[in-house]
Amino acid sequence: MSVELGTEADEDEVAETTVPPVRPIFARLGAIGAAAQASVPGLYAWAVTVAPAAWSRGGSLGAKIVSIAGLVSIAVGVAMESQWGARARYVSVWGLTLTSAIVWLLVPNALGPLRLDAPRGVAGMIGWGLFALASAAPALGANAEPSGRIVDDAPLRPRAPIRRGDIVYIGSAIVIALALQVVGWRVTIPERALLVRLVTLAAALAIIGAATTVSLARHTRTPLPGVRIRLRAALPWIVFLAMLAAGGTLAWSR
Amino acid sequence: MKYLREMQLADVLAVVLLVGAGVSFWLGSAALARAEDLKALYWLLVGVVTVRAAVQVVRPGAKA
Repeated sequence: MSVELGTEADEDEVAETTVPPVRPIFARLGAIGAAAQASVPGLYAWAVTVAPAAWSRGGSLGAKIVSIAGLVSIAVGVAMESQWGARARYVSVWGLTLTSAIVWLLVPNALGPLRLDAPRGVAGMIGWGLFALASAAPALGANAEPSGRIVDDAPLRPRAPIRRGDIVYIGSAIVIALALQVVGWRVTIPERALLVRLVTLAAALAIIGAATTVSLARHTRTPLPGVRIRLRAALPWIVFLAMLAAGGTLAWSR
Repeated sequence: MKYLREMQLADVLAVVLLVGAGVSFWLGSAALARAEDLKALYWLLVGVVTVRAAVQVVRPGAKA
């Protein structure tokens, strides 16, 4: 009897000592599969951009069925990930994107400027962007292999340490790029609305590309030329800019 | 130390130019949405030139 009591006490002690440590958020995310991670933004994107289109006025039964098929593909991807591995992601990614495209083709007016307001449009863009990010680059589990390695090839070594200031450059560029995506959601003419979207996307890419170049210029091993030489190289563009500013001021002052 | 100060000056100038380019692109896109094509063209051109100037300040000869 005393032995049994002693055993129970030991078990309690073991249970107390084997409480799993609290893992960081990315380690916990990495423990679930990639399809499961992508399912959350996928559901969000579906709820914001696909379901309202399928259930809008004029949405046919076929559009509703296809939109639900998109949800089913997400569920199949999540459920079968443990057995199919990375192939399960193909089901959820291609299933959701193809069914969504079919729904938008079946109900083309549902995403027109008159029915899609700016907040919902931006929310949908963010949802699809997060779905793409979570599908293409899911959070990896900590120490997935016993050696701590995730890829089979030789370890990649950084050529230079990343400085702290880089996040300011890239973060500012991302803020500007996102601010550009808010413009032009109330344009009623489809061709002009498309042109505005193309221009804002191109401008956002140009800003992010330039910010990356500016940030990387601080990491070059070869010494950069002096400030005077650099300003001299930029002088034609600065003069051109000054001429544009002067021309614009003159034109608007009339 | 002087070199570092000059480097920071160039970096600050590049960042200011980049922010200016962002504002120009925003104004250009807004004008394009309002169907004010001449203003849109002007601001987008200012944005492109400003981006190019920002890149040239930090890395002469690089393409934006």
